Amino acid sequence: MISLFPLGFVENKSSPDPRDKMRKIKYESELDLKFGEQMAAKAYGQKLLSCIQCGTCSSTCPLSDYMDYTPRKIIAMTREGFRDEVLNSLTIWLCSSCYACTVKCPRQIHITDVMYTLKREAIARGVYPKRYPIPIFSREFFNIVRKQGRNSEAILLIKFYLKTNLFMMFKQAFMGLRLMRTGRFSFKRDKIERIDKLQRLLKAAESIEEVRT
Amino acid sequence: MPNHQNNGNMRIGYYVCHCGHNIANQVDVEALAAYISKLPGVAVSRSYKYMCSDPGQELIQQDIKDHGLNRIVVASCSPLLHEQTFRKAVEKGGLNPYFFQMVNIRENVSWVHEDRKEATQKAMDLSRAAVHRVFFHKELEKKYVKINPDALVVGGGIAGIHAALTLANSGKKVYLVEKEPTIGGHMAQFDKTFPTLDCAACILTPKMSAVKSHPNITLWTYSEVTNVSGYVGNYIVQVKRKPRYIDEKLCVGCLACIDECVYKEGKYADEFNMGLSKRKPIYMSFPQATPKVVVIDPETCIQFKSGKCKQTCIESCDRGAIDLSQKETNEEVNVGTIILSTGYRTFDAHRVPFYGYGKYPNVYTSLEVERLINASGPTGGELILRDGSHPKTVGIIHCVGSRDRNTNRWCSRTCCMYSLKLAHLLKEHSGAEVYNFYIDIRAAGKAYEEFYDKVLEENVHFIRGRVAEVIDWAANPAEEGKLIIRAEDTMIGTVRRIPVDMVVLAVGMEPREDAQAVRKMFNISCSTEGFFLERHPKLAPVDTFTDGVFIAGACQGPKDIPDSVAQAGAAAAQAMMLVDTGEVELEPNTAFITEEHCSGCKSCIPLCPFHAILFNDTSKKAYINEALCKGCGTCVAACPSGSIQQNMFDDAEILAEINGLLAIDNSEFYEKEAIHVG
Repeated sequence: MISLFPLGFVENKSSPDPRDKMRKIKYESELDLKFGEQMAAKAYGQKLLSCIQCGTCSSTCPLSDYMDYTPRKIIAMTREGFRDEVLNSLTIWLCSSCYACTVKCPRQIHITDVMYTLKREAIARGVYPKRYPIPIFSREFFNIVRKQGRNSEAILLIKFYLKTNLFMMFKQAFMGLRLMRTGRFSFKRDKIERIDKLQRLLKAAESIEEVRT
Repeated sequence: MPNHQNNGNMRIGYYVCHCGHNIANQVDVEALAAYISKLPGVAVSRSYKYMCSDPGQELIQQDIKDHGLNRIVVASCSPLLHEQTFRKAVEKGGLNPYFFQMVNIRENVSWVHEDRKEATQKAMDLSRAAVHRVFFHKELEKKYVKINPDALVVGGGIAGIHAALTLANSGKKVYLVEKEPTIGGHMAQFDKTFPTLDCAACILTPKMSAVKSHPNITLWTYSEVTNVSGYVGNYIVQVKRKPRYIDEKLCVGCLACIDECVYKEGKYADEFNMGLSKRKPIYMSFPQATPKVVVIDPETCIQFKSGKCKQTCIESCDRGAIDLSQKETNEEVNVGTIILSTGYRTFDAHRVPFYGYGKYPNVYTSLEVERLINASGPTGGELILRDGSHPKTVGIIHCVGSRDRNTNRWCSRTCCMYSLKLAHLLKEHSGAEVYNFYIDIRAAGKAYEEFYDKVLEENVHFIRGRVAEVIDWAANPAEEGKLIIRAEDTMIGTVRRIPVDMVVLAVGMEPREDAQAVRKMFNISCSTEGFFLERHPKLAPVDTFTDGVFIAGACQGPKDIPDSVAQAGAAAAQAMMLVDTGEVELEPNTAFITEEHCSGCKSCIPLCPFHAILFNDTSKKAYINEALCKGCGTCVAACPSGSIQQNMFDDAEILAEINGLLAIDNSEFYEKEAIHVG
């Protein structure tokens, strides 16, 4: 199993005053007041500002039990400009894109897509911990698919563990060997034909994404 | 006072209104007035802060005197708001009121455009068009029609009952038409009413019997309006009276026939009890039904289905009131005014599948619970669930089918309060723990907040969070055999699972399924969500865009009983106002046919939505009944020989307006033409 909390988060060291660690109040000057509008302007975020804080997303979410902030809180904090808290939160990475919240939202907010937008923003700002597994997993997966057109699980996992938690690789080694014996896991690099066409397609998709976000 | 109307020269007065900042902020009113002053024929061009104010109107009248004006153009708000105001001002100044044209530079310009320069340009264009148009305005006469003092009320819920009684008590004759076998509507189904907890039947039934016994009210239950024609003051209404197979005059409501029916027990879902009990084919909705007359449902009666029934009901009736040969009848009545109080329907909870309505037997809608706890309900007021158990915990889910873009966007207004009421009643009836799941508590009304406070003090649980789902799989032993409600307690900030025995869905209010058909029949409009549209949301809440047709109650939008009654009273007062005026002024914008040009092709006749065009068989020409014509212009556009013209919209006026809009400047020609025409 991949640990959900591999390294923990680095605490905010912006204030020199030690008492500030205990401070619970949030000053308006610490917020990024444009953050809500910026995120709403990005892909599928248009209805974000119409959230009525009913909590349907949180109660629908199968993973909200493990989140540091519930999806409802993420929407509220995004709207109010709690940029650092939102982008540093586990919630956005825990979202598994089941779209249950999006289906039930009475304001038709595309919550899953907002989570993606926040993930992209976090990556762009580099605010998540360096060895945080979920973005690394996504990136390595994408790199392999871009290069070969297909995923190679063994290679993906090795790259993934090398970049996140080497110790875990040894822990999982026996299971890997067993899987290899039954032919479910191999080092063979699968490739598709005409890989150049796929790469062109992905490039075009990326450029569209850039224009939109 | 000199007569300026026909002195040959056009002397136009142009006035642009600032409307405070509403127009002046977005349109350069000074530049606009200066621009119009240079147009040919314009004698006076001014801007003023509030043209609709008394000084503004006096300004027009003074200018008519001082400058000999004979045409007036006012650029301000929508004609809907102030056309009458300015026409009266023009008339007071000594001109024919139809020598006036209004330009809408508020709703059509300043409120909808962002660029000040372009907005000013548009205002100039529209004003120029109006200035060109007024050259051709003709002297028209006001027309009046008599108003029939009788009134029709459609729908016998609390709004219809109150409106009918108000009109009848003032001496007007009222026809009250109700679709169901009894009047009373939804209110008759309720147990208690918030916030005072009066028993609904106790306060409603006296009014129901007052309707029945009132000499001025003709009550037609089990009947529907099938056709409406005519116009304000003179509507002709067709009413279909469905056969109830009982002679209403003979039946006294002794219910002996129901006891003697060949069915020993009820077999068919009782509509009045929301299907929670069974009724026989011959039934009475509830003990205080008005009229107190039974009804036979031919869909379920054996005699109607197979013709092989012993007909014990007929034998049992010693008054001979049962008449199985009764046929549908049609009545036609003439009325002057119509009040629509057709009510609402509750949201169909099946449309929110994740709340488990129809899947789990112990999930109820609020209306079902009203019947369930009612003393005359299916269980005699005892709280027994569909599976025979008594609930120890109850969850009430607010906003089911309301405030949700996936179903209905609007707030149904009543659910918060009736949920509080049900919470109180359920706790009182069963001693159960009650949980309310709400998004916001909307308790805006007299003594509503106090009622909320009272329910809070009764230790009813309030969880601020919209429920995601109602499920039956247990995550721990305490949840076994229960319904589990999953919601985020947003105040505490955690997701909770709450096991309950009974779930109540506070369903919202929707337009009735036949709202569109009714709307078309009475020629009124609906707002986007499907409720009947009032003429003005604030200042004409019970009027419609069809004169003489008024709306009251929840057919206009979600409403509780006090609001429905208030609106019904207002609608009755508006109807009375029309009736007591005795006659109504009609717009002179009617169409007329120039007989020598009419070829008798009859193409206009089927097009007229008001059946105002008739054909004269001897002269082989069509002619228009002015009293019926509403001035829609359909026939004018359709006439292939151009022989139909419409007052206030004749060809010369329209073409001049278009030329003015497009800045085709041949105003000198118009001036000559206009003098010729005038």
